Order: sequence, then structure tokens, then C-alpha cells
Amino acid sequence: MVADARTHTSDGSNAIDLVDVTKMYAGRVHALQGVAMRVPRGEIFGLLGPNGAGKSTLVKIMTTIVRPTTAHGTILGMPIGHRPTLARVGYLPEHHRFPAYLTGRQCVEFFGAMSLMRRTERKRRTSELLDVVGMGAWGDRRVGTYSKGMQQRTGLAAALVNDPELVILDEPTDGVDPVGRREIRDVLLRMRDEGRTVFLNSHLLGEVELVCDRVAIMLKGKVERHGTMAELTHESRAWRVTIEGALPAWSAEFGVVSTDGPRASIDFKSDDLAVLQALIDRLRDEGAVIIGVRETRESLEDLFMRLVRDVDGRAAAVGASNVNHAMRAGGAR
Amino acid sequence: MMKSAPSATRTHPLERRHLALADYAVQTWAIFVSAYRELNARKLFWVALVLNGLVIGAVAAIGIDEKGISVFGYGLGIPGVTTRTFPDGQLYKVILSAVGVGFWLSWLSTILALLSTASMFPDLVSGGVDTMLSKPVGRGRLFFTKFATGLLFTALQVTVFALLAFFVLGIRGGVWELGIFVVVPLMVVFFSYLFAVQAVVGAMTKSPIASVIVTLLFWIFIFLVHSGEQFTLVGRTASRLEIAGLEAKIESLKTDEAKEGLRKPLEDQRDADANWVLAHRIFFGVKTALPKTTETAGLVTRALAVAANIGDEEDAEAEDENTRRQRGFFRSQFVSERKLRAAMDEEMAKRPVWWIVGTSFAFEIVLLSFGAWWFRRRDF
Repeated sequence: MVADARTHTSDGSNAIDLVDVTKMYAGRVHALQGVAMRVPRGEIFGLLGPNGAGKSTLVKIMTTIVRPTTAHGTILGMPIGHRPTLARVGYLPEHHRFPAYLTGRQCVEFFGAMSLMRRTERKRRTSELLDVVGMGAWGDRRVGTYSKGMQQRTGLAAALVNDPELVILDEPTDGVDPVGRREIRDVLLRMRDEGRTVFLNSHLLGEVELVCDRVAIMLKGKVERHGTMAELTHESRAWRVTIEGALPAWSAEFGVVSTDGPRASIDFKSDDLAVLQALIDRLRDEGAVIIGVRETRESLEDLFMRLVRDVDGRAAAVGASNVNHAMRAGGAR
Repeated sequence: MMKSAPSATRTHPLERRHLALADYAVQTWAIFVSAYRELNARKLFWVALVLNGLVIGAVAAIGIDEKGISVFGYGLGIPGVTTRTFPDGQLYKVILSAVGVGFWLSWLSTILALLSTASMFPDLVSGGVDTMLSKPVGRGRLFFTKFATGLLFTALQVTVFALLAFFVLGIRGGVWELGIFVVVPLMVVFFSYLFAVQAVVGAMTKSPIASVIVTLLFWIFIFLVHSGEQFTLVGRTASRLEIAGLEAKIESLKTDEAKEGLRKPLEDQRDADANWVLAHRIFFGVKTALPKTTETAGLVTRALAVAANIGDEEDAEAEDENTRRQRGFFRSQFVSERKLRAAMDEEMAKRPVWWIVGTSFAFEIVLLSFGAWWFRRRDF
């Protein structure tokens, strides 16, 4: 199925440009509810969300593995579902299983051929990539003898064999040891440096925070937040101003006051630097000795957890409202 | 890592609006090579190959000359089986046709092939499907290509069989019969009927065991339908011959009294004939819609022109005369076994190759189209 791109145009600066992607599974399960998302070219984009949020469904729609209920938008400038474009996309699925009877090298070459690569080029790329992912010495052994981490590395090589413009990785460090994780992170950063777009689907928040330029957080089939790390956390931007001695009484208007021995601190949330300046000016006017001004932001994990709680709370509130409504309706009868 | 960095401004070497013929060829070749490697990795493939050699080796061990038949040079002392009764490698053709094709290829080798390929479609729709579908290959094409690769097992096995049989016929029988190679496409077609069922069931259930069981049950079902059709055809043919015999007898009688005595049996036979015709039509109708495995395998015998009438015609007639009243289900004073067999052969010969293969293919195409439709619509 090729999505309708007529209603949507892309200027080519976005590797992924999705508008109103919905998916309803049989049994009326709304896996995706009008997802819209833009992923600029040459960036590492992280898609976050708890289990069941619809991340994998979205990735599978982009790679034509799942048929969307509706999907508008483009992948690499072509409508979603345009098959020839998939030759320029690399994909590493979660829990992928390669044929056990093939060697790692044969596996990578096979997927190169499926991506339309010609023999000489795919052989060259395969040898190159097996070395890059640290599988050079194991390339001629059967995949059936590989550990989980080795299979993941081979999968990464298979995803990159066609020299993709867009690389979609679903939990790429799953089952990989810490050294391997670091190596994979380095590979991701190198891909970005080379101008590739990396779409990283992961629930390892720390990993995403380390490498991603832009993040989207999906909850219950919707994109709840979408932007750069700075954009996402600007709402939670907070300041701690510490002085020697006690804080004046009026300072409680600004935020939460605390004391630590001879020092006192005031913590307040604000994205407006003028507020901070006003506080500092007022403290200095009164002769306070400012010994520290520190900016704090919510971590990605904190933001994520807060959003999950908010959405769950909203859902609970809607559920309770529906129950009340039903009870009232029942009573009216 | 990568020498060239892709960018929005540079055209990617794999960028295209439509796939070219060469692209299809690259993908199809890769799928076939992968399937060959899969078969190579299976022990059953090699077991079947060795058994192939043993079957042909056993045929090659049989010797025939003007004195009689022998195995590994030891005479068996079977009277009448000489190069006079079986000239021009006929004995080898009969054995290859009856045992090699009729038993080994049509039964044992087919079962081994079904077992070897059972996991092909369950594997396609479970483990590796994500990665495959994320490539620029249409689902319908993937389904049909995968199906074609499943026929590789039989194609390779039967090619080896045909090659060995060709040399046995040439060296032992003195006949270099190129026609033996017709067994390759025919047996691949034969296997494809059953593999179509296995592929669709395997894809839908994701279970190799379920796909094998359903396929074997289906095979038994079509065998039963075939047996029923053949039984009713014998009944119908015998009945037709009986009526013709009675009518001729009545015609030959001189007195009305004598004629009257046979009119009642003729009427009874006509009533029975209507039942035979109806029963046969029902079986034939069902059979027409199903794959015709037995007839397809039988085409090999036709192609090899294996002599069915061995022996002296007069002896046979005499034997018929002695035994026609005692032998068989359809005993009759007007229908000899030889006449019945000849009439049956005539009936069967009326069924052209296009009917046997064409209607079987029609079933296969409908089934595979359904499987491909299901595969195209499914989310993985």
C-alpha cells in the first residue's frame, strides 16, 4: 500500500515526514491515533515510549511491514509504502531472526541483494561492515552458532549494507554487552557525521539521551512530546540560587527556600532569564553574597515518567467520568 | 566506515522510482541461492539423494538377456522374462516407471520433500519476515518466489534420478532414452500440487507440523476421490459393455420368446447404468476441481511408452474366457477383463494432458492466489 502523499508535500529536508498515521487493529485496538512527526535529515532521532505505546507499529508502517489504516506523508521524499525507496532504507528489527543455515557474511550479502545491490558492491560492503561491527573473524560461521550480541551486530551490518540514507533501528543494543553498546553508539554517531538519518526506537532512556538530537515520546498511540532535548526540557528549566547567610522573607515569593548550615538556597522553575536577573538584582541590592547560580533541567527519564503519569492520570479521569456518566444515565432510567 | 556520505543533494545509487528487470533478477536469484543453501543444510535432502542412488542402483543391478532375468548376475529363473518379451530396455522402463516413479518419486520422495520444506513458509511469516518485507520486494512476488524455491528440492532430486536413470537405460538397457527427462517437469508439477497446500497452511498456521498433516490428509482425500472415480468408471464402463453385449445378443436371437427372456435383464442393466453414470459424474466433478496426482505421475508412463500388453494375444483371450465368470467385481458373460481393460484404457486416453495438468494447475493457482492475498493483507 502506498500512502497518499498528495495532501502533503515535503521540501526534502526531512527524511521522515508523517502526517496523520493511524492504525486500528482488528478488535478495535487503536494502536496509532493520528501520529505526526518530522525527522530532519542527518540527525539521530529517538522514539521513546513504554511497551504498547505504538512505537513498533509506527516503525513497521514506515517499513511496510504493517499496513496503516491511514497514512499520509513521506519517507526520503517519497510516499510511505513506495517500495523502491526501501532500497535506501536500512532496518534492524527488534527480535530479528536470521536464517540459521546462513553464515553472517551470506546473511549480510543476502539482504544487500534484496536491497538491489549488485554482487561486487555488496561483497565489498559486507566485508567492510563485518569489520566495523566487530564480526570480521566470525563472518564465515553460521548464524545459528552466534550469541545474541553477535546476531545483533550482524543485524546492524545487514541494516547498513545498502549504504542507507535512513537507518531505522529497533532496540539495536538489545542483548549486547556494555562494550558492544558503546561500539554501537559510536557507529550511530559516525553515521550521523556521514550525513545519514538514524531513527532509533528504544526504551533505554539513557542511551537515547546520549546520542539523539531529537526525541519523540509516544504514549498510547499518540506523540505526546516531540523536539530537541532542549525543547523538550525547557518547561522544566529550573534555577538554584545559593547565598551566604539567611534569605530575606520576600524570597519565598520566588520559589522554595531551604537552608544548609550557613547557606541558604532558593529553587524556582522558570524559562525566563529576566526572572532570574530580577532575583539576583534584588538580592544584591540587599547586600546578599551570592555564591552560586545553577541551572537544573528535568532529565529525559524524569520527563518521560512525568508524561506517563500524566497520561495515565488523564485516562483514569476519563474512565471515572465515563463511569459517572454511565451511572447517572443508569439512574435516570 | 562508509566512504561516501549520502545526502539530500547526491543521488543514491539505489534510488529509483520503479524496479527494473535486473533488480527483480538480483532479488530472485538471491532468494533461490538462499533456498538452495537451506536445502543443503538439511539432512533429509542428502538422505533423499542417497536413497535416489540406491533406487537407481537396485534397478541397475537387474540384468536381462535372451535366457532370463538376473540380479547381480544371479539368475532368478523367472520364465518368460527375456529380451524377447522385453526388448529395447522395456524391462528397465517398466521398473523405472512402476517402482522409480510410481513408488519412489510419487510416494517416498514426495513425503521426504514435504518434510524437508515444511518449515519454509512458517519461517517466512515468523522470524525473518520483518527484515524481508522492509526490502523493496512486493509481498505477492515474495510469496510466489518462495513457493518456487520450495520446488527446488524435488527439482534437484528428480534431476539426479533422471540422470542416473538415463545412464541405467543406456548402459544396461542399450537405449539412450532422452524422454526419461520428462520426469523432471512432471514430478515437479506433481509435487507443486501438494506443496501449494503445504505452503498456504504453513503460512497461515505458522506450524510445520500442521502443514504436513493437513497436506497428507489432503493427499489421502484426493487419492480417495481418485479411487472412487476409477471404481465408478469401471462400473460405468462394464455396464456399458454389458448393455452392448445384451443388445447384440438379443439382436442375434431368432425367436421372440428367447429375446423376451433377455429384455428384463437389459432393462435392469439400464437402470443400474443410470446409477453408475450419476455416481461417476459426481466423483468426476469433484475430481476435476482437485489436483490429479495419480494421472500426473501416470503421464511419465505415457511418455516412456511403456508397453502394457506383454504376452500373446490369443493366450490372453483364452485366459479371459476361462476366468471372466469367476474373476473380479464386475463378472459378466458379455464383458471380458481384457475388453474392460481396453475400454478403460480408451476412456483414460480420452483425458488429454491439458485436462490433467490444466485443471490441477487451476486448483493450485486458486489456492496460491488465496495464500498470496492473505499474505499481502496481513500485518506482521
